[in-house]
Amino acid sequence: MANRGERAYLAALMALKQKDYRAAQEHFERAAPFYGDDKEFNLCFETTRLLNAVRTELAGPASTDKIDIEEVFSDG
Amino acid sequence: MNRQETLKSLASLLESFIERVVHLKEERLSVSEGIRRLDDIADKASQGLDMTDQAGDWFAEHNRWLTDSSLSPPDVSRINRILQQFKTNLRLAGEASLSEDKIHREIDRWSKTGEKLDRKLILRRGPEARAVAGEEQEDTIARFEHCLERLTAIFKDTCGGKKHILSVADDLLKAARLQSNKDALILSAFVIYYLKQNGYKVEPYVKKLREAEAVIGEGISGGQ
Repeated sequence: MANRGERAYLAALMALKQKDYRAAQEHFERAAPFYGDDKEFNLCFETTRLLNAVRTELAGPASTDKIDIEEVFSDG
Repeated sequence: MNRQETLKSLASLLESFIERVVHLKEERLSVSEGIRRLDDIADKASQGLDMTDQAGDWFAEHNRWLTDSSLSPPDVSRINRILQQFKTNLRLAGEASLSEDKIHREIDRWSKTGEKLDRKLILRRGPEARAVAGEEQEDTIARFEHCLERLTAIFKDTCGGKKHILSVADDLLKAARLQSNKDALILSAFVIYYLKQNGYKVEPYVKKLREAEAVIGEGISGGQ
């Protein structure tokens, strides 16, 4: 039987192929305990994680770093 | 470029990197996925389910693996292991249906062909070409090109003051024998062959070439 790590790695790669980066990250997380120092695995995993972080950031509030709220009193 | 644009550019760079990685792994992915499916079929068969049709489909779909170079020796061993396990779960003669018989024959065919693939001859480069740890290996064309450059330089040095190519060949043979100079040996062989093609009597030079070759050969084997 193929081990769980191998199956999860394969599922991650299939998810990457389908551009489902969230699912890929979840599969990579399940596979990670089985791949320890495997450079190729870690490169794919970290790149996917970084891409998801960047996409989350892009999906957030518009380009401003912080929002200033100013109260204006018309009658002083 | 503002922050948003930088993030977009980074996302696109990462996506393109991932796409290329997946593209490079495409064939491996297809093999791994195929093996995983076979593994699932064997697993379900071991739980008592009738997986004959699924196994038949799997064989039909992956038949080309037996003739192309998709499978590595570990893949072959793994498929054979799974198939043997699957075979034990098929009902044996007497009760076997036609389709089960067919699957039995397919498993035997895969095992036989798999053994041949497993024994595939792997050619490795000789000691001269082995990479030294930490050094990047040049390809053979680049190595040969560099060798030609060195030979040209040696030829120009050796020609100085000579009036005939035979004198150059003689000097090169001396350098090859006395200094164990492999480049001089290769160049002298080149000159001798050139002379032979132009109608010269080259036997004495060929003899000296063999002597120099033996000296260099001893040096190489003595140094190992």
